[in-house]
Amino acid sequence: MGSDMTTNSAASSAIPTTSLLQRTVRSIRLGIWEIARYAILVAVAAAILVPIVYAILGGFKSNGQLVGDPASVLPTEWVFSNYTDVLFGANAGDFWREAANSLIIAVVAVGATVTFASLAAFTFARMVFPGREAVYTLFTLGLLFPLTVAILPLYVLIKQVGLDANLLGVALPQAAFGLPITIIILRPFFKSIPVELEDAAKIDGCSTFGFFWRVLLPLAKPALATVSVLAVVGTWNSFLLPLVVLQGADQWTLPLGVMNFSTQYVSDQARILAYTVIAILPAIVFYAFAERQLVSGLTAGGVKG
Amino acid sequence: MNLVPKRFLSGVALVALVAGACSSTATTAPTQAAVTTAPTATPAPTAKPVTIEWWHIGTTDPGKSMNAQFAADFMKLHPNVKINITILENEAFKTKLATTMQSGTVPDLFQSWGGGTLAEQAKQGMLKDITADVADIKDTVSGISGWSFEGKVYGIPNDLGIIGFWYNKDLFAKAGITTLPATWTDYLADVSKLKAAGITPLAIAGKDKWPSMHLWTYLTLRIGGGDNLAKMIASGNWNTDACTKAGQEVLKLNALNPYQAGYKSATYDNEAAAVGNGKAAMELMGQWAPTTQAADSTTKKGLGDKLGWFAFPAVDGGTGAATDGVGGGNGYAVGKNAPPEAIEFLKFMAQPAQATLINKNGVGLSPVAGTQGAITDPNLKMVADGLGKAKFVQLYLDQVTTPKVGSAINDATIALFLGASTPEKVCQAITTVASAK
Amino acid sequence: MTALTARPRGRSGLLASRLTILLFLAPALFMFVLFVLVPVAQAAHYSFYDWTGLGPLDKFVGLDNYAAALGSDTFRTAVSNNLLLVALSLLVQIPFSLGLAVLLNRRFTGRALFRLIFFLPYVISEAITGVIFRLLLQPDAVIDSGMKGVGAGGLIQDWLGDPTFVMITLFIIISWKYFGFHLIILLAGLQGIPREIEEAAFIDGAGRWQAFRYVTLPLLGPTIRVSVFLSIIGALQLFDLVFVITGGGPITMGASGATVDASGTMALDMFKTGFTNQSMGAGSAVAVLLFVFCFVVALGYQRLVLRRDVEGALTTNG
Repeated sequence: MGSDMTTNSAASSAIPTTSLLQRTVRSIRLGIWEIARYAILVAVAAAILVPIVYAILGGFKSNGQLVGDPASVLPTEWVFSNYTDVLFGANAGDFWREAANSLIIAVVAVGATVTFASLAAFTFARMVFPGREAVYTLFTLGLLFPLTVAILPLYVLIKQVGLDANLLGVALPQAAFGLPITIIILRPFFKSIPVELEDAAKIDGCSTFGFFWRVLLPLAKPALATVSVLAVVGTWNSFLLPLVVLQGADQWTLPLGVMNFSTQYVSDQARILAYTVIAILPAIVFYAFAERQLVSGLTAGGVKG
Repeated sequence: MNLVPKRFLSGVALVALVAGACSSTATTAPTQAAVTTAPTATPAPTAKPVTIEWWHIGTTDPGKSMNAQFAADFMKLHPNVKINITILENEAFKTKLATTMQSGTVPDLFQSWGGGTLAEQAKQGMLKDITADVADIKDTVSGISGWSFEGKVYGIPNDLGIIGFWYNKDLFAKAGITTLPATWTDYLADVSKLKAAGITPLAIAGKDKWPSMHLWTYLTLRIGGGDNLAKMIASGNWNTDACTKAGQEVLKLNALNPYQAGYKSATYDNEAAAVGNGKAAMELMGQWAPTTQAADSTTKKGLGDKLGWFAFPAVDGGTGAATDGVGGGNGYAVGKNAPPEAIEFLKFMAQPAQATLINKNGVGLSPVAGTQGAITDPNLKMVADGLGKAKFVQLYLDQVTTPKVGSAINDATIALFLGASTPEKVCQAITTVASAK
Repeated sequence: MTALTARPRGRSGLLASRLTILLFLAPALFMFVLFVLVPVAQAAHYSFYDWTGLGPLDKFVGLDNYAAALGSDTFRTAVSNNLLLVALSLLVQIPFSLGLAVLLNRRFTGRALFRLIFFLPYVISEAITGVIFRLLLQPDAVIDSGMKGVGAGGLIQDWLGDPTFVMITLFIIISWKYFGFHLIILLAGLQGIPREIEEAAFIDGAGRWQAFRYVTLPLLGPTIRVSVFLSIIGALQLFDLVFVITGGGPITMGASGATVDASGTMALDMFKTGFTNQSMGAGSAVAVLLFVFCFVVALGYQRLVLRRDVEGALTTNG
C-alpha cells in the first residue's frame, strides 16, 4: 500500500492539481456507481428470491392450499406442523438419522474428491510427463457421459466389491464422480501460481509434496473452497445412488426422506417443501463457511511480491 | 433424482373377472374362506428363524400403518418370522427393484401391478410360481389371472377397481344436467351444457398422459368390443376400425374445448386439484380419485358428498358391452427365493379379516370376496359394483404389454388430445412400436 | 510424445520423479477407473443389444439401436433443443454471471449476503426446483398474477404447454438455477487477480471499462474458459430439470408419424428409452451418442479456444 501512495503523490505532482469541481464530479460519479451497483444487485437478488420465498412460505401452507390455490402467496392458515414435524415430530428421529448419514457421506466424499483431485490436478498443472494430456482428457471424459445409464453396472460393481448397503458404497463412487469437474476447475488455478515460487521453494529444500502442501494449497484456497462447495452440494442432493445402494430406512440420506411424503397418486408438496428447506440448510451453512475462505484469498496478494 | 410420484402405471393383465365375485351384495362369505382364518399359533419350538423382505409403496397413512399392523400380527402368530419392511415411493421403487434384480437378488414380496412387467419378470425367472399355493383362494380373490403369466400365478392383487367418471353434483345441477349420460352422445351434449354454463367440463393431464389415455381406451373398448381390443393388443396391429373411430370421437370431444386451463402441461395432481376445488366438473379416474382430490383441495375434504360417480357411457353403434370396464390395481408378487412363510404372509393379508381393513381404511378396493360390506364411500361402492358387473375388464393399456408399447400408447393418445395428431396417425404410431418386436 | 510445453513465463517446470507423479495421480486414477470408467464401458456395451434391463444380454443387434436413435424425431428434436440451450447459455448466462461477479468483487456491506442469495438456487435440488416452478407457472398462479399486476398481462403464454415457448421457459429456469454456479467459479478467479494490477492500470490513465477489458478479462481468461466449457457440457447433458418440469412434453407429432417430445433433451431421451420404456440397450445407445456429441464439442473447444492455454490442449496428445 505504501508504494501506492508514493505513486499517487508522484502522479499528482506531475499533473495539475484536480480542482474542487473535478473532485466533486469524481466523487459523485463514484457515488452513482455505488448506488447503481446496489440497485442492480438488489434487483437481481429480488428476482432470485421470489421462488425461494415462495417455497419457504409454501411449507407453511396446507397441501390443499398450495396445490389448489397456486396464486396465493401467503398461507391462509399457517400450518407450522409441516416444519415442526420434521424436526420435533413423531418421525423426527428419521430426519436426524438421515441428516447424520448425509453428513458422513458428504465428509467422506468431499474429502476424498478434493484431496485426490488436488493431487491429480497438481500433476496436470505443474508437471510434465508423457501421456499427461491423455490422462487429463480421460478425466474430462467422465463429465461427458450421462451417469444415470451406468447405474445398473455401477450397482452390480458396488455389490461385488462388498460395499452394498454401506454408506461408503455411496460416498466412494460419489467421490469418483466428482473428480472430473474438480480437476477441471483446479487445474487453471494451480497453473496460475508463478514458477518463481516453485523455484524458491525448491531452493529452500522443499520436496515436491512440500511445495504442494505448504505453498500451493494455501494460495489456492479460493479454488479449493469453490470445489468443496460444489462437491458438497453435489453429494448433499444426490438421490439415485443412495436409493440404489442403501438398504433399509436406517441408512437413508436426507433426499430419500422425501419419499415419505408421496404416494403413487399424490404428493404432499407442502410438506416436501418444508422438509427440503430444512434439509438444505447444512449445505448453505457450509457454503457460508467456505465463502469466508474465498474472501480471505483476496488479501493473499503476496503472490505478486 | 426424480420425484414423479403420481405416475400411475398400475395394471392387471387382460382380465376376465368372474362376475359377481366382487358384487357388494355378496355379503355372505363363501365358507372356504374360513380355512385361512386364524392359523393356530403353535409353531414347532425348533422352527428356524426366517426373514421376509417386504417392499411396498404405501408411504403414507392409512396404508403405512395398516401394512405395519399386518406384519406385526403375522409375526405374533409366527414368532420365528421376521418381516423387514422397505417402504419406497412409486418411481423410486421401480428403479431400485430394477437394480436389485440385475444384481441377482429379489425381494421376497414386493409391489406389483401385474401385466406386462410381471410377465417380463416371470420370463426372466425372477418370480416364484405360487399356483399351487394359492389354489385354495382362487375363488375368493378375484383378478388373480392378472398376476399370472402363461397360466402360472406369480402374485395376487390387493386392490382392484375400474375407471369411471367422477363428477361434481353441484356443477352438474348448475348446468342443468338432470340425468347422468347413458350414451356417448348424451355425454357430449352434457359437456356442451357445462361449457354453456361457464363451467370447465373435463380435467385431463397433458404431462402425465395416462388419464386421457384411459378415455381413449374406453372408446376403443365400447366401439370395437373387448375381444377386438384383445386382438389388437396381442397382434400389435392397431390400424383397425375401432382404433380410428375412437380417435374420431376424441376429436369430437376436443372440438368442444372442454379441458381446464393449463391442461397441456398438467400433471395428474393438477387434474385432481381442478376437480377437488370445483374448478372442473369431471375427471375419468380410478378408485383412488376421492383421496387424491381431497389431498389437493383447499378444504382438505375435496368435494365430500358433492362427488358422484358414473360408469363410462355406451357408444351408439358400438359392439362393446356397456358393462365392460377398464381397470386395474395393486398387488404383490413373490420373489424367486421367497421362503414359504412369505407366501403364507401373502395369503394372510388376503384373508377377509385383514382384507376388510383395506376397504375400511380407504386404502383401496379389496378384491377379496366378502369384504365389500366394509366400503363406506357410496361412490366406491358403485365402483366395486361396476367391477363386479363387468364381464370383461381391460387392464390399463400402458401396463398390459411392455413399458415400451405402453409409453407409445400414452404418447400417441395425448398427442391426439392436445390437437397435434389425427386418429389414423395415432393408430399407426402405436402399431409401429407394438409390432416392432 | 508430449513435448516440454512452454510455461507461461518460459521456464521449465519441476522435473518430478516418475514415482512422485504416480503417487499423486494414483488415488484419483484408481477411483475414477473403478467407479466411472468400468461401469460406463459396460453401459456402452449394452448399446449393441436389445435388452430390457432384466436377465442376460443375449440379443445382439449391432448398430440397430444407433440407427433407431439417429432416425428418431424425438432424438433429433432433442439435439436441436440442446444446441439452443448451449447458444442461450453462452449468450446470456455467462455474460450475466460475469457482470455480477465483477459487481461482487469489491468489499461492501452486505456483500456476503448477496453472494449467499445468488448461490441459493444452486443448492436446491433439481427436483425441488421443478416442484417450485411448476407451482409458480400454473395458469393464473404467482407469475401470471404478477405479470398482470405490472400490466404485462398480454405477454402471458402457456409457459409449459406451448411447444414453441416451452424451451424458453426451461431456459429461464435453468438460468435461475445455475448462474450461481458460474458466479462462484468466476468470483474465485477474480479473487486471484490482485487489485494492484487494476490500480496500476487506473494510474496509467485507463478508464474502468478499459482496465476491465484489457487487464482483468485476459487474466480471468482461463477461468472464463472453464466456466464456458462447463456451461456447454451442462447444457448438453441437461436432464433432471426437464424431467421434473415437463417430462419432455408437450407431445407433438413428428414428420415420420412418431410422437416427438417438444422439450426433450438427449439425456431425457436416454432416460425415457432406457428406464421408462425398459429398453436399456437402446437407452445406452442414446447415451453413447450423447457422449460422442459432447466429446466432439469438447475436442473442438479445446482446439479452438483453449489453444492459448497450451497445457489445456487435447491436441498435444501423441
